[in-house]
Amino acid sequence: MNNHTAPLIARGANDPIALLLSALAPLSGVNGIITAQQFLCHVHCLSKQLPEHQYVINLCENRYLFMVAFAASILRQQTSLLPPNKKVMTQMRLSERYGDVYILHDGLLKSDNENTEIALNIADINVLECKFTESLCTEACPEIPLDYLAAISFTSGSTGDSKPNLKTWRTIIESSEINARHMLESAQSDSCGHATLYQLATVPAQHMWGLETSVLLPLFESICVADVKPLFPQDIYDALQVIPKPRMLVSAPVHLRAMCGSQLEYPDVELVLCATSPLSKELAINVERLFSAQLREVYGCSEVGSMAVRKTAASDNWYLFTGIRVEEQNDGTSIASTDYLPASVVLQDRIEMKGHNYFQLKGRATDMVDIAGKRGSLLEINQVLLNFPGIIDGVVFMPEAEDKRAVARLAALVTLPEGTDSEDLRRYLRQHFDNAFIPRPIIKVDSLPREENGKLPVRQLQDYYQQLLESLGHR
Amino acid sequence: MAIQSPAELKMAELLVEALNLEDIDAKDIDPEEPLFGDGLGLDSIDALEIALAISQEYGLQIKAEDESTREAFATLKSLTHYVDSNKG
Repeated sequence: MNNHTAPLIARGANDPIALLLSALAPLSGVNGIITAQQFLCHVHCLSKQLPEHQYVINLCENRYLFMVAFAASILRQQTSLLPPNKKVMTQMRLSERYGDVYILHDGLLKSDNENTEIALNIADINVLECKFTESLCTEACPEIPLDYLAAISFTSGSTGDSKPNLKTWRTIIESSEINARHMLESAQSDSCGHATLYQLATVPAQHMWGLETSVLLPLFESICVADVKPLFPQDIYDALQVIPKPRMLVSAPVHLRAMCGSQLEYPDVELVLCATSPLSKELAINVERLFSAQLREVYGCSEVGSMAVRKTAASDNWYLFTGIRVEEQNDGTSIASTDYLPASVVLQDRIEMKGHNYFQLKGRATDMVDIAGKRGSLLEINQVLLNFPGIIDGVVFMPEAEDKRAVARLAALVTLPEGTDSEDLRRYLRQHFDNAFIPRPIIKVDSLPREENGKLPVRQLQDYYQQLLESLGHR
Repeated sequence: MAIQSPAELKMAELLVEALNLEDIDAKDIDPEEPLFGDGLGLDSIDALEIALAISQEYGLQIKAEDESTREAFATLKSLTHYVDSNKG
């Protein structure tokens, strides 16, 4: 690394960087462990086949192909747009916003009917149809300019018009180094010197959390990542069985809860990392027991990336990563800043600093709600709700905590004209929002418990909702 | 709407309970309507919730890698059939 560039990867030629759990068609003759050298060859091969565009949406499902496609785009100095979801609508919004866009994928369907998974007017390349040579290439590891804009992540909002967060190569290099220090600290050295950790991740590579841990860490640290993205507890179990030790698991509360509830006995792992929405202490303790591992929960947001860590089973205190500064503001919000980000960022959570480098979370500072790691604005959802043709009154809100489900869902109370049912409303909302933000249940009521002045106090709303549930025969 | 079998009604009740579908009567879920996408509009988090509820109720672990899983999750009918023929 000099003042202007840094290498694409920082691994020894023969270091294991990825693990293919099954053969991938275009990489004939390659199976199991992929070395850094092989990876670089794949990256060079693919980069030569990429079209000339400024922006790329990388929708590869296979984690290794995502990684190769991501690095190949970097080599071509294209900017990766990291979409909050794969919806065709999202692709079209990004394409309208950025213009010179194409899509990289590994087998999505493109057809001129409603089943299409790719927007028809956007150029696409199927990585599975690209050519990869079998002979090892000898090109040196490329140097990448530090000020080149490698990626743009989007604050995952309820609609597609979310705020872009710029990630230069410098941001990626420096944040990855700090992430490694705090996420992996002692996990590698405790038991096995600086042995390679074999990583299984259940989260998508396109999400900031998945990108930082399952794509970027392997580029720079002694991590070898499995190419799969298992969902069900049994799939995660099967993958862990075939991954060499020492292992680490990268996941999210919703997946960890399913694993804990599955009655499966998982193999031991060295380290479990979890992020995207707060984990309860009870679940953290169960996870540590299930994997005989330490669980580290990471706090972050797509604007900053990962920025603090806690050992949730033992403590409520989040410890800030080196170089991250947080300042509480008078209005209850907090501002985060660090040298590798161009500007400071207003955090959506109420943060209470307890010491110079640790804090506790005290809930949301704004109207943002978090559903399985996706953030949306209640205000915005309510505005769209009230634009539903014919609606007389209605409100979308987050019901008070109940621990029955892994993921809290929004609920809606609505007054609709005769002849309109909640199914029509549901269809309308689906056109506007990601599935995660569709209220459930949507309950039709004669009127909302408003005060005379028209206000709808939260307490009154929550109580009324509980009564409604009881009268509907649920707890 | 097609008529629910008793086993389908039991599965429908499990879905309503596991997925906060309080606004939907278990009896009203059409056995042949798609569960995901349009129909009930479920998503991958729901798939996980359903898998968890099924493993707790029937001791059956669902795997995404099985070819049959995709078909199993298509409708109430197929899900009921899948669980019925795979549970221990």
